[in-house]
Amino acid sequence: MSDINHTTEGHSKEAAHDHHDQFTFLGRTFPFPVYTGVFILLAILTIIEVSLSQVPRGDLGHAMDFIGIIMLVLAVIKASLVVWFYMHLNKDSRIFLASLIIPTLLVIVAVLFLSIVPAGGY
Amino acid sequence: MSEMSLEKAPAASVEAAHGHEHNPGARSENLKFATWLYLASEVVIFATMIGVFIVFRFHNPEIVQRVHKETNILLVTLNTFLLLTSSWAMVMGLREIQRDNRQGLIRWFGLMCILGTVFVGLQYVEYQELAHIGVALFNQGNEFDGFGMRFYAPTAFHGVHVIIGVLWGLFVMNNARKGNYSSSNYAGVEVFGLYWHFVDVVWIILFTMLYLV
Repeated sequence: MSDINHTTEGHSKEAAHDHHDQFTFLGRTFPFPVYTGVFILLAILTIIEVSLSQVPRGDLGHAMDFIGIIMLVLAVIKASLVVWFYMHLNKDSRIFLASLIIPTLLVIVAVLFLSIVPAGGY
Repeated sequence: MSEMSLEKAPAASVEAAHGHEHNPGARSENLKFATWLYLASEVVIFATMIGVFIVFRFHNPEIVQRVHKETNILLVTLNTFLLLTSSWAMVMGLREIQRDNRQGLIRWFGLMCILGTVFVGLQYVEYQELAHIGVALFNQGNEFDGFGMRFYAPTAFHGVHVIIGVLWGLFVMNNARKGNYSSSNYAGVEVFGLYWHFVDVVWIILFTMLYLV
């Protein structure tokens, strides 16, 4: 659904899809709603993240290490799952997505710029 | 529509010309779009706070490591699960009202409000533990120098959002009890859902950035 001004009828049809008590993923049918499937996936990813954080990482220095990057990627995947399924961006207008992406990108660029400035001055 | 015809049109036709009275679908979409724009402003605030922490983390990795060693990660993980579960409860409640089941919505939202309240309570416990080991809002010259304000600002700001969310959730439950929502009219539930899931998304990022990385 890409048109922001879609009708209530159209929305109801898509909402009706969520009424299903099962969903299919990678050819397998699961006996619970897709929302529950996403919740289970979020829980599993969180357990993996916390387990990774307990791995001894030695002296981190100033750079992010490999495990840190994996944990960040997992966090982005988790956030995307919530935005995509729970916030219904898989059905709503993509314009909504821009309101998340644009300010996030602006801050990322600002942080990258700030991180090259030495803490103690040049 | 010309000026002449507008002058002669009855009031109901003028309302129809503005679109909202006879197009609840468009009203719902406008509400959602307004909520997304509001969330965009929240993204800027939270992303700035997280950005400040990232810059601190790059320049002071040893301080962050020291705090991580002292942090009760089990408590924070439990809190994370509470918020993830509350998000699931929220979306299951929405599913119930889409099926015209108001009692189902109230039950799921009740669970969501309880989980949100426990989250805030456990965050208070965590703050007490951190204060006990010496992580204060202003640490100058000690082993946690500069960490406190960069940690407490985003987490406390997020905590305030959870409290507001719980209050909003109770308001939506009360509306549902009065019969204000149905399978064809649940924009108020959806808009609140966007807010609550956003609070969850922010915590997912905060949890990883502040406690794990």
